[in-house]
This record gives sequence, C-alpha cells and structure tokens, in this order.
Amino acid sequence: MKLASLPTLIRHSSQPHELAHAPASTAASASFDFHTVNWQPDGFGFDATSGEFFTASPTALIVMQALSEGMLRQQILDRLTARFEVARSTAERDLESFLAELVHIGLTPESN
Amino acid sequence: MNASPVIAVTGLHRGENPQPGSAVIRSLRRVYPELRIIGLVYDSLESGLFSEEDAPDAAFTMSYPGAGEEAFWQRLDAIREIERFDVLIPCLDAEMGPLVDSPEKLRERGIHACLPTAASFKCRDKSKLADLCERTHCHTPQTVAVSDVNSLHQAAASLGGNVFVKGRFYEARHALTPAAREAAYWHMLEQWGAPVLVQENVQGEEYNVVGLGDGRGHILGSCSIRKMLRTASGKGFGGMVVRDPQLDAVAQSLIAELRWHGPFELEFVKSEGPNGEYCLIEINPRFPAWCDFPSTLNCNLPAAALELALGWQPREPLRHASPGKFFIRHAIDMTGDIRDLAALTTSGQFFRQPREIIPHPASSRSL
Repeated sequence: MKLASLPTLIRHSSQPHELAHAPASTAASASFDFHTVNWQPDGFGFDATSGEFFTASPTALIVMQALSEGMLRQQILDRLTARFEVARSTAERDLESFLAELVHIGLTPESN
Repeated sequence: MNASPVIAVTGLHRGENPQPGSAVIRSLRRVYPELRIIGLVYDSLESGLFSEEDAPDAAFTMSYPGAGEEAFWQRLDAIREIERFDVLIPCLDAEMGPLVDSPEKLRERGIHACLPTAASFKCRDKSKLADLCERTHCHTPQTVAVSDVNSLHQAAASLGGNVFVKGRFYEARHALTPAAREAAYWHMLEQWGAPVLVQENVQGEEYNVVGLGDGRGHILGSCSIRKMLRTASGKGFGGMVVRDPQLDAVAQSLIAELRWHGPFELEFVKSEGPNGEYCLIEINPRFPAWCDFPSTLNCNLPAAALELALGWQPREPLRHASPGKFFIRHAIDMTGDIRDLAALTTSGQFFRQPREIIPHPASSRSL
C-alpha cells in the first residue's frame, strides 16, 4: 500500500499565445463528458470527441475513473482508502478539494 | 487533354501564414507520384518553389488579382501556350471569385476544376453566414459588415466591445479598445478591401473540418480537428483529430444546404460550458494549409478532388482519420539558388532542375 498524494489533474488546452500551449487551463472551455475520456494506466486521458487530453496523478486517476463509473463520494472514498495508506478523514478532505478544483477548471462532475 | 494530365496549383508560400498549395502537391504525389504539377505563383520567393519534397515541376508567375480579371485570363492563356495544364486547383481565397463567376471560361479552355457554383460560393461569404446558419439551425457569432469608422465603432458597441475585426478574405484581429479596433480596421481595409467584418468574440476551443463536397449535398470525405497550437494571429500550428457526431451533423447540414462542390474548410468555436454549441466562424472555399495531414491517415482529399474534377474512379477510398492522431507544424529552412530566382523574376517561368549536391568537406576527408 502506498501513501496517497494529493490528487492533481492537468487539463492540456490550446491557448491563443504565440506558439505556446499552456500546461493547464483554469478557464472553463469545451464541455466535458466523463464517459468519453479514455484513461491510460499511467494517468493520461484522451477525449476522442473533444480532442482534449489530461494528465492525472495516481490518486486523481482513481477518482476520475470512479466518476466515469458513476460512483458516489462514499464509494470513491472506499476505493481511495483501500488503495492508499491514508486516513479516511484526510482522503475526504482531499477529495472535496479535488472535486472543487474540477468545478473550477470546468470539469464539473455529475451529481456527486 | 494531355495523355497524363498536367495539374496547376496556386498558393505555394508556407510562411507565417501558410498557404495550402504545397500541401495539395504533396497529397497528390502520395497517390499519383507520376503527375506533372506546375505552380502558379505571385512572388518569386514563395517558399514551396524551393522545397525538396513538394515543389512543382515548373512554376510561372501570375498577375496579381488586383490587376483585374482580363489580365488574369490573359496570363493563364500565355502560360498554357508553354505548359498546357488540364486541371486547376486554386488555393487562395482571392482567386476564387473570378473562377466561380466564370466557369465557362475554364470550360472553353478545356481546364477542369472542382469548384462550387457562384450561388453556393456567395452563400458562404463571411457577410452572409448568419442567413446560412439560420436556414441550417447552426450557431454563428453575430457579424456586421462595415465600410467606415463610425459604423465600426457602432457595430463593436452593439456586440459588447469585445470583438474580432476581420478582413474580407483573410486575417482577424482581436480588438478590445477603440484604438485597437481602428488600427485593425485600417489594416484590413488596406490589405483586403471593403467591407471589413466585425464579429462577436465567442470564447471556447477551436475546431476545423476539412472536406470535399460532391455538389449534390453529400460530403465525400472529411477530417475534423481541434486546434492544439495557435499563432499570435490565430492560425492553427497543430491539430488533433476528433470524432464528434454533433460536429459531423453540423458540417453535413451546412454542406447539404450549400450543395457544395469541391474542397472546403469549416471553422468553428465550441462555446464554453457543459452544453457548448459549435459556432460557425467561417467557411473557406478551398483546402486549408493542413490538408496533407489527413492524407497521411488514408483520407487524401486533394487526390479525391482531382479525381472528382476529371471524373476518374478513386484510386484509394477515403477513410475516417483516427481520433488521437495529431499534426504539429515544423518550419525548416529551404536552400535556393540565385539562378532559379533569376529565371522566375526575369522570364516569369522556372523549370525545376535536379538539385546540385554540395559535398560536405567532412565526407571527402579520409579517416
């Protein structure tokens, strides 16, 4: 069992800078469908419909996969605490923070 | 017609704002390596002339579109006295008007081309997009055509101030202040003439669709991308293939309404938010500069356009490019020779010779 790192997700998005692509966008842009993103085991996610791609930390990957499976918060917490050496209260705090970050970057999880 | 058709292609400069001609040549040669291709150029420094891989076999200077239609046809006839080309693939917006307005002039000369009708060409004009989109239930940013500074500011104010100022044929500048709007207005007017377009700024990711219409409302083949990299002027410098049924449906309805014949590029912005809609920004009546990218993925649209123009059976079927394939543009330096430049600038013609191999000093040194 590994220690859980803070879940982080980077959304790679085109920016209107001169030949510069920002590593992460904090602005909401294209719509996001949790079901159309194909996640690789290394945390790389690609949405064939929108052409967007993402990189997720190991903990974020578990959360994103759980969301795409339609899991509820308590089920996601169960999975996180089963996979990582982390107190449930810590995992809950980190999950709340991560879900808020998803909303902030425009990747609003469905009712959760 | 020649036993093996000779093809004329324009728009060979792949500079900061790349033109499509060299990409068209490269695609044609992927399927028909034996084709003789000539370039029709407006400047002896069009970079595609000096490329190793996608240069034409010969090139001829054309009269500028500003010199008028008569000069255009006269020069075309003079070129055909030397090199009797059979197919013309125009790759620049400014050339399209005279060609679609006078298809009989092409026909009487025996020149084949894959062009839209004058009616469908006019319907996709930047100033007419709103009407087209209303008929096809497609979203489009509000656009106002202006021909003086007062109208420019009035239009910008009515669109919320945050606008794009666009040229009639090319270029767009994002303008937030009155001074920026005016500077962009005068630039567009000088470069591309009146009217200048003022367009509402829709925030979101940009998507482009390149395709080929059969003139009866069907799309023979297409490839959709999301722009991954953009230059300061908004030109795509990289794109990722996507497959979105919603985008395909919008493209199909537009091409069906126009009964478009020939190559096209649809430019969209997908508006922000969970229910983002594709907003049509413009329709380019020709191949885009990235048209060779789908050709590497078994969707060779320039070769299909040539076959359509000549009534040939397709040599290769058009397939859907796989999502996840992407292109990145890579600028490299081309080596030219002053003799080629001299030929083009003095006689207006240039026939490609085998390249002179300059040995590297290290290669002749004994170890």
